[in-house]
Amino acid sequence: MKLSSAKGASPSHNSFHSKRRSRHIVPPFQSPDQLEPWSSVAVDMHNNTNTNNYHHHQLQNIHTSTSLSSDYSGAGEEPCATGDKWASRLLMECARALSDKDSSKIHHLLWMLNELASPYGDCDQKLASYFLQALFCKATDSGQRCYKTLTSAAEKGNSFDSARKLILKFQEVSPWTTFGHVAANGAILEALDGETKLHIIDISNTLCTQWPTLLEALATRNDETPHLKLTVVVTANIVRSVMKEIRQRMEKFARLMGVPFEFNVISGLNHLGELTKEALGVLEDEAVAVNCIGALRRVAVQERGAVIEMFKSLGPKVVTVVEEEADLSNSQHDFVRCFEECLRFYTLYFEMLEESFAPTSNEKLMLERECSRSIVRVLACDDEQDSGGECERRERGRQWSDRLKEAFSLVRFSDDVVDDVKALLRRYRDGWKLTQPLQDETGLYLTWKEEPVVWVSAWKP
Amino acid sequence: MAMAIDNAFEVDFFSYSTTTTTTTTTTTTTTDDDPTCTWNNWGSPVVDWDSFSSERDEFQDLIESMMDDGTELMELAGGGGGVDHETSNSVSIDTMVADEEITNVGEDCKGLRLVHLLMAAAEALTGANKSRELARVILVRLKELVSPNDGTNMERLAAYFTEALQGLLEGSGAGHGKHLVTNGPNQHHHEHHQTDMIAAFQLLQDMSPYVKFGHFTANQAILEAVTHDRRIHIVDYDIMEGIQWPSLMQALVSRKDGPPTPHLRITAISRGGSGRRSIGTIQETGRRLVAFAASIGQPFSFHQCRLDSDETFRPSAVKLVRGEALVINCMLHLPHFSYRTPDSVASFLSGAKTLNPRLVTLVEEEVGPIGDGGFVGRFMDSLHHYSALYDSLEAGFPMQSRARALVERVFLGPRIAGSLARIYLTRGEEENCPWSEWLAAVGFKPVNISFANHCQAKLLLGLFNDGYRVEESANNKLVLGWKSRRLLSASIWTSPDSDL
Repeated sequence: MKLSSAKGASPSHNSFHSKRRSRHIVPPFQSPDQLEPWSSVAVDMHNNTNTNNYHHHQLQNIHTSTSLSSDYSGAGEEPCATGDKWASRLLMECARALSDKDSSKIHHLLWMLNELASPYGDCDQKLASYFLQALFCKATDSGQRCYKTLTSAAEKGNSFDSARKLILKFQEVSPWTTFGHVAANGAILEALDGETKLHIIDISNTLCTQWPTLLEALATRNDETPHLKLTVVVTANIVRSVMKEIRQRMEKFARLMGVPFEFNVISGLNHLGELTKEALGVLEDEAVAVNCIGALRRVAVQERGAVIEMFKSLGPKVVTVVEEEADLSNSQHDFVRCFEECLRFYTLYFEMLEESFAPTSNEKLMLERECSRSIVRVLACDDEQDSGGECERRERGRQWSDRLKEAFSLVRFSDDVVDDVKALLRRYRDGWKLTQPLQDETGLYLTWKEEPVVWVSAWKP
Repeated sequence: MAMAIDNAFEVDFFSYSTTTTTTTTTTTTTTDDDPTCTWNNWGSPVVDWDSFSSERDEFQDLIESMMDDGTELMELAGGGGGVDHETSNSVSIDTMVADEEITNVGEDCKGLRLVHLLMAAAEALTGANKSRELARVILVRLKELVSPNDGTNMERLAAYFTEALQGLLEGSGAGHGKHLVTNGPNQHHHEHHQTDMIAAFQLLQDMSPYVKFGHFTANQAILEAVTHDRRIHIVDYDIMEGIQWPSLMQALVSRKDGPPTPHLRITAISRGGSGRRSIGTIQETGRRLVAFAASIGQPFSFHQCRLDSDETFRPSAVKLVRGEALVINCMLHLPHFSYRTPDSVASFLSGAKTLNPRLVTLVEEEVGPIGDGGFVGRFMDSLHHYSALYDSLEAGFPMQSRARALVERVFLGPRIAGSLARIYLTRGEEENCPWSEWLAAVGFKPVNISFANHCQAKLLLGLFNDGYRVEESANNKLVLGWKSRRLLSASIWTSPDSDL
């Protein structure tokens, strides 16, 4: 069931690109539970049967910023400037007070934040609430315990269905994760083009939602479909049963697509640096791609170099890295700066969630709660004590690039991939853009309201 | 010694209905106006610490330790907290009773929270890091917690203060001129029915000695100063309904010493648009007084003297008659009075000085020592002031909460708004000194308060709750207070050249 290839490829494109035209790039959307692993079938750009579904799924105009200041008719209020918002002001003051060890001020601010915060209110109230929690933990040195409690509470409610629903809904309303998927898939396909035995090592947090699209592409692009081995490296959070479900669905989907497929799971790792070629089952005749989505930030800062070296030792043809654009690497030495950056990032994130989801969305709440755990982790937990990985210290694209440059060199995303990403973004609300920094060319950025939020890059040895 | 206490003049005089009117107008703001505010989900302020079983202890400790530190907060704001407050029934401002359970918000806990929130709002409005948005958010939170009609004294008081702050927040863009009568930007909300005002005034009189204290002390001093005069002329800065004068007239009619039945002339100062807060116009007041005087055989005439539109007083507009004893009567801050701007009062008193009066009677509210607490300091002082006032009313009539709520709504609420507006407008400036100091500074001489006058005041207070105190704070000044908070002072003066 190979879909027909596109016609009219321009002379400058080689046959591969013209065939790529027929491949859909759009990620799968949620649909009623069927045989497919996650969702409805891939849509061919030229095949309109399901486009209606997309327009359907495309999000309605969600109410805009719900800051209380929008009710106020006074002059001179700029609702968007983070500096003017009461929550960020109070939070920053409290962070400074903590740093200065001004205990009466700390008490006063914590008290005030507690009065005004709410995890169910508007953006400001939510930010106040979650950051208050982190500040409180920092002040009382209880971050570790708090984080454990929050995590275990979250895991109790976790199931494959809920996790799946969450991520699919998120992907439906926001390109936050799909952006990275599309770009990474594009780079992987291009890098592994012509290979017959593919081995993708997937170290990500998106529950394999990236791969159906790729499988589809593999199935349709050539007469000879390559063999795909997918090795998923699981970090501690995801429960084994979740992976079992995922395995079943992926295998089923691959069968449907007619792609020879092998699925492996590696779990129980303490940290990524422990991985080896043997452990991953990398064979000599395989073309390897390493796909790292939101994973490097979970590696302890001092071990990041080693992990990258480890990647190199696997001899990959391409390494794709997707990370969120924030610099939270420095919490020990400069708390206030780290706090400020954390606040900046999560303000963007929360506002994005607010505008993307319906007001009473449960998924939004779950994502916010996830953030609250990260926030506590970054701001109130001491890394030395930590033994479980999951440190969540994000770095900016430029910083990751500097690290990766030690072992790899950058691969430019081709125009086709860029076009695919742009096409993806068009399916979402206004506000999302793609930017490509020209000078250093360190990958692609997804921007929301002009702020870069997600970074994707591809590397080769 | 002419005492006018026993004449229950006020009741029959104006044919007020003595039944308490119950009103159904409400001034609570609803949160329906603010769809984005979803505080409703949780009753206690504690962040959703559900997942946090073991964290509770520490947070409780933290909260409790914060409350212990709360005293420092209060004192800081009060600029040294001059007056030592005794706690009264339901308002415990500076004695903390920290509850064991965080989720059980005891009355005191809540009161303390409200005070802290109000202070935080005042700070946000004017402090070093002012942020109107923060102030707004705090006020939203406060509005959720309080209502002007229900709850404890502190809660109702906080509701009015919240509303007043809200008014400042909204109106502060619109540059209030200082010459405007600052009765608060929400003045227009409080156009009460006449019956409400009458009833509220009646209640105020019944429940508290404030009005009578001011009137009786002034009247007694006047009587003592004009014993040998045939003609008396009183210039009344703010006559309102003229309640002060019937008892004086009766005393004059029945006086034993000096020339019998001296002629009394009252000149009422009138203002352009001032009819709103008083019940009826000055003309009506004049008519009533004339009728009353006639009914008891007191020779009497009534005049008006108009102030300029900016409330400047022109002494030349007062008709003087040779040989009359001139008395200047200046009631300023009785609970049911409107706020008069400092400029207006200053203009009046300085003009009065040029008239060389025999006597000046001044009644004004007492303000605590602020130091350099700025707006927040004065705000907190105002809060203490009115909470003492509320407590005094409650002590007298603990069961009549609706009656008190009426008085609060009709009189005290607008006063609070006006008071805060005034404090807000003058926040960058030197604190206005009390008028008694001003009088002394411009040369008026103090006149001793007689023993009789002092006794009369004590007797008056004896009719009410024993929480009221009167003390002589200077030879010419009596101060009425509730517990240890001084609330109202009456002082007596004469012009510099007088031979009194």
